[in-house]
Amino acid sequence: MAPIIDLRGVSTVYEGERRPAIKDINLIVEEGEFIYIVGPNAAGKTTLLETINGLLPISKGSALVFNLDVRKYGREIRREIGYVPQDFMVEPNEPYTALDVVLMGRYGKIGVINKPGKKDRMKAVEAMRLLGVEELANKPIGKLSGGQQQKVMIARALAKEPKILLMDEPFSNLDSGSRDRVLMLVNRLNEEQKVTIIIVTHDLSQVMGQNHRIIVMNEGRIIADGDFNSIFDVAEKILPINMWRKH
Amino acid sequence: MIWLAIFQRAIIGCVITGLIMGLISVFVVRMRLTAIGYAMSHSAFAGAALGVALSMDPLITAIFLSAITATLIGPVSDKARMPIDTITSIAFSLNMALAFIFLTLPPQVGLSSEVASVIWGSIITMTNSDLIYLEILFLVTLSLTYLFWKELFAIMFDRKMAEADGINTKPFIYFVIFLTGIVVAISLKLVGGILIYALLFNPASSALQFLHDIKKVIILSPIIGISSCLTGFLVSLMFDIPIGACIALFSTIIFAISVILSPKRKRRVIA
Repeated sequence: MAPIIDLRGVSTVYEGERRPAIKDINLIVEEGEFIYIVGPNAAGKTTLLETINGLLPISKGSALVFNLDVRKYGREIRREIGYVPQDFMVEPNEPYTALDVVLMGRYGKIGVINKPGKKDRMKAVEAMRLLGVEELANKPIGKLSGGQQQKVMIARALAKEPKILLMDEPFSNLDSGSRDRVLMLVNRLNEEQKVTIIIVTHDLSQVMGQNHRIIVMNEGRIIADGDFNSIFDVAEKILPINMWRKH
Repeated sequence: MIWLAIFQRAIIGCVITGLIMGLISVFVVRMRLTAIGYAMSHSAFAGAALGVALSMDPLITAIFLSAITATLIGPVSDKARMPIDTITSIAFSLNMALAFIFLTLPPQVGLSSEVASVIWGSIITMTNSDLIYLEILFLVTLSLTYLFWKELFAIMFDRKMAEADGINTKPFIYFVIFLTGIVVAISLKLVGGILIYALLFNPASSALQFLHDIKKVIILSPIIGISSCLTGFLVSLMFDIPIGACIALFSTIIFAISVILSPKRKRRVIA
């Protein structure tokens, strides 16, 4: 069976820049894997996520997701990928309710012209319930706290019923209780529904003692890939020691 | 009787223009297409000057040049990989230059009454065919908004996230720019090219002062658009002052009142 993500020699250059943000990335991800990506600032972690879902143009190499070329079928691929962006915060007066935002996660799947139906609404409410924010459904999203907004964005990604879930620093605004809840939820999705999970985190205490695959990035390249024990020696050279301690 | 017919046409023109501009205003404000009003009004102005120079209907040439400008802005912005507002500003200066050149073309139209009516607005000269254009435009705008509301709704929230959900945002952005160009050109008779952008920004900006739900904003904004147009028109009649200026003034007064009364800025007292 073909891997769910297959990147070979992929480089991505941002507009107006010469140096690629990620260079010669080779990455094979099988369906149902759970992966953490760690690395210092500007290591290329976010770029890698946005290359996988085709939001950034690939300048070199080949990228297949669901066995489809990301360059040609980026939009179709994104309809099956839940994406939680880093530090997504809205202005206090944003005229959208939390439920509006979660429901948007299903828009790509619904298709042009078609309107969201009862089923879509139920999926959105269910995603909010899983995150414990269902009582905030009709509140303006701008009036929610940073952590609540973060949960709404996670619910938006889950409402899509994705086959791949890409989460960029999803715990940055969450307290430890909420973080554990989200982690339990994605673990369950991974185990029960075989959803492929890729989480970018700077909080290295998250990956300590984990059985999952860990990818270490630095200066746009993957410099280590394996379980915690196999990446530790490489990772500790590039990541400050205080980042390994639990906050 | 003639005056009654002119008055009726003017009132209907005010209502439809207010409706369309109020509707478009929501997209323009939420998508932050700030330069679009200036660029479109000046392309319509250049088109009108060309029409007069060529002895054609200035409204038709105004619509034609606005449509060309509006069609090119989106693709040029993508090709040049620059923000839409930057390309729109370039289009603005180009159209101003064209307008001045057209004004000097033989038979040297200068600021003739026909061109002046495009700059300052002249609702009294509104004809039945102008009203038909407005009505068709309103129906088209409303239908397309209804059909693509879901996509526009998501793009107005965040374009990148809409793309991340698999929505092709490009055609919808182009569509809003194009529609704005046509709406501005056809609405010129009411407010005029110089002040039309007051109606592109003020109704939605006022509605957003009160509401936390964009679905309600899209209803309130056209109501504010109609109120601005009708009040401006009636006051301009009473005091014999330019209608475009009156409408811009009233829509700004409504915005100022909205800011003052906005419940969004009231502090909560926590017991």
